[in-house]
Amino acid sequence: MSRFRKGAALWGSLTAPAITAPIFAVLGALMLGALLMLATGHDPLAAYRAMLEGALGGRQLANLMATLARATPIVGMGLAIAVALRGGYLNLGGEGQLVLGGLASALVALYTPLPGWLLLPASLIAGALAGGAWALLAAGLDRWCRVPLLIGTLLLNYPARYLASYLVNHPLRDVASGMSQTHRVPEAVELPRLIAGTRLHIGALIVLALVLAAAWIVRRTRVGYELRMTGLNPSFARYGGVDTVRLGFGAMMLSGGIAGLVGAMEVLGTHHRFIDNALTGPLYAWTGLMAALLAGSSPLGVLAAGLFFAAVHTGGFGMERGAQVPRELSRVLQALMILLIAARGQLLTPRRGGSTAAAGKAGAT
Amino acid sequence: MTAATAVTAGAAATSSVSPALELRGIVKRFPGVLANDHIDLSVERGEIRALLGENGAGKTTLMRVLYGLYPPDAGEIQLAGQTQHFRSPTDAIEAGLGMVHQHFMLFPSLTVAENIVYGREPRRWGFIDRRTAARQVAALAERYGLEVDPGARVADLSVGLRQRVEILKTLYRDAQVLILDEPTAVLTPQERQGLFRVLRELAGQGKTVIFITHKLQEVMEIADRATVLRNGRVEATVRIADSSPTELCRYMVGRDVLPDPIRTPKSAGDPVLTVADLVVLDNAGRRVVDGVSFEVRAGEIVGLAGVAGNGQSELVAAIAGLRSATAGRVMLSQQDANTTSIAARRRAGLAYIPEDRNRVGLALAASVADNLIMADQRNSSRTPRLSKRGVLSRAGIERYATDLIERFDIKVASTREAVGNLSGGNRQKVVAARELAQEPIVLIAEQPTQGVDVGAAESIHRDLLAVRDAGRAVLLSSAESSEILSLCDRILVMFEGRIVGELSAEAVGADPAAEATLGLLAAGGAT
Repeated sequence: MSRFRKGAALWGSLTAPAITAPIFAVLGALMLGALLMLATGHDPLAAYRAMLEGALGGRQLANLMATLARATPIVGMGLAIAVALRGGYLNLGGEGQLVLGGLASALVALYTPLPGWLLLPASLIAGALAGGAWALLAAGLDRWCRVPLLIGTLLLNYPARYLASYLVNHPLRDVASGMSQTHRVPEAVELPRLIAGTRLHIGALIVLALVLAAAWIVRRTRVGYELRMTGLNPSFARYGGVDTVRLGFGAMMLSGGIAGLVGAMEVLGTHHRFIDNALTGPLYAWTGLMAALLAGSSPLGVLAAGLFFAAVHTGGFGMERGAQVPRELSRVLQALMILLIAARGQLLTPRRGGSTAAAGKAGAT
Repeated sequence: MTAATAVTAGAAATSSVSPALELRGIVKRFPGVLANDHIDLSVERGEIRALLGENGAGKTTLMRVLYGLYPPDAGEIQLAGQTQHFRSPTDAIEAGLGMVHQHFMLFPSLTVAENIVYGREPRRWGFIDRRTAARQVAALAERYGLEVDPGARVADLSVGLRQRVEILKTLYRDAQVLILDEPTAVLTPQERQGLFRVLRELAGQGKTVIFITHKLQEVMEIADRATVLRNGRVEATVRIADSSPTELCRYMVGRDVLPDPIRTPKSAGDPVLTVADLVVLDNAGRRVVDGVSFEVRAGEIVGLAGVAGNGQSELVAAIAGLRSATAGRVMLSQQDANTTSIAARRRAGLAYIPEDRNRVGLALAASVADNLIMADQRNSSRTPRLSKRGVLSRAGIERYATDLIERFDIKVASTREAVGNLSGGNRQKVVAARELAQEPIVLIAEQPTQGVDVGAAESIHRDLLAVRDAGRAVLLSSAESSEILSLCDRILVMFEGRIVGELSAEAVGADPAAEATLGLLAAGGAT
């Protein structure tokens, strides 16, 4: 193949709707945000400059490091949702799985008599297992008790969150600290920082590796193929001999496992203890869900979307500091973007055969 | 072509009034496809016009333009001399067009009368006046000879009667031009005759009928004239009295079609598929397969005939493992397959061309290559080049897909094209190619040529015979009696969940009334 044709193919893939639609959505959201700021009496240019600085700049790129640190759990949660969604399973229980993963890792780190070198991997694995088990419970409810996965995963968030809250407020509370949190985990269990003086820890690299592994598995392996086909048409996959029941359990376990691992890494890498609301307050799970939806559940797309959302978050702090724009505005911006992305099919492509739906509205006999 | 033009001109000259329907220069473009390329069509009042063409010839698009579902890019629609601009089907219905869709648009839980008056109910004190509705419907049915009980629930009606309800619905809205999209696909031969009587009656009373179909025999039987579309253009308009099936077929396909392949007599081998006392329930718990037993031996094609909805689909699904049987046994090559998974049945040599290719047989959003390797991605013993220890081989898949596309003459832009972009015939070829490439011991083919054009149907028939001649077994379930009669060594007729008759090829070959016998059995009559 000639270089020219390769270049043309690359250009073609860059101008494909999958790439251009999110860009247009983001630009549209920025413009709407500018209108909003003008209406509330702020200077949009100064605000966006402060946002950019707050997301990517700072002394010795401190703000960029903060963005990457924040992106770690967001991308991780996005990946957790995406691996299940690829197979057509919508896991809305990321939050509960994240919290239980963090809690389990803290408990293992604090209360098991394992030698130091074994304690860190054991804590991480415990986190993944706890998240995975919680997701499996929802899958089992769907399979055997006819509780739709959507509802089961969503509702299981509440017992997980409040169980964790109860434990750190009462039996496991570090009373001396005066806060709703566990004791600090031993130093040997802390995930090393990538750069001293920042919150960026080695979990970022683990998440990156997971994203790359997931992208490869989805595209290049047999089980990834079966997952994709199940997501596109479960009847077809079943007809072709795919054990969709087993695949569904596997996908949910993996999804919950990743969520639990993300929780464990935040506990062991960022906070060094389980703090009440530290994992749920920043809405990692829900932002991750948005990233997965925005990326069409492609792992690499989740990486891009997660970095972007993290930048919007930290940029929001920058806006607040540099241009006195309320931080809430960045949340408004983020919501606008997802809305525009969701509407891309209708906004950016001309409607054709719009009434075919009407032709099919009466029940076919 | 010159003869065809002359016919149109002649017809126009004899009538001083405007034609009931006239289309002039209709153009409809989709991204990358010119679906309708300056189509002219003129249909007289009281005429039955057949609209013929292969899949993708532009019939459906043209009818959707006519019915207000797509705006045309260019061209003009006239009804009785009045230029029309339809923006929705509501406009089209208002102007006197009626469409009977292939898939009926009825409410099963409502009565016949309620379905017919729906949207235009006679009212009394602001409430629906059921008595008047029933009376109006009865009068309408009487007038056009469409006997049906206005008070019956649609769910309890046979397919043929439901179709009558659809026709009455259009008449109730005072349609002058009726469009029927492949109306005979779901009917028994007897029901088909009933429909033809009705259509003649309607035409006799001045209605205009447009009849979309693939079946040349029906065109010869019912139509006054036929318009053949090919590649989005009008290939010819011919008077049926002056034409022949061969000529029509040539216009449709663009070449002479080979005669049906000859089925050479052959003695069958050991039974490779055994079904014993099988009972299958449908989703509502009814015994839709009620103690069925039969065998299919190596080297024979066994036909499963019958009117749709008599348990064939459920029987086939139970053999394929997609539906579980309540009682009885399925054996593949004398091995019990009852408890085994779909994957295990496929490993045991079962392949399956399902009835619903779009919802079961394919993932429309996935690529042609992804659709071609399904069921083979695990079977590394037979196709070692597709995957190795769980990792897919891109080059191997590309080669395998290209090979199948070539062997089965599937028209695609590339192996990465989404299957959903292909025409119905090419989609079916993808399914057939995948299943035949398994080199199955038993192949189940369910309605393999439904909605498929003549050329593709021809090649699928040849493929099925090739499987048989290679000493493998085929179970062919089809509502198309000509397909069953020409391909099968033995024919099993199903009615209400049971096998009510078996015919052998020899007996059928000697009997010119074989099709009628088949129809009678399928309708529940005794031999």
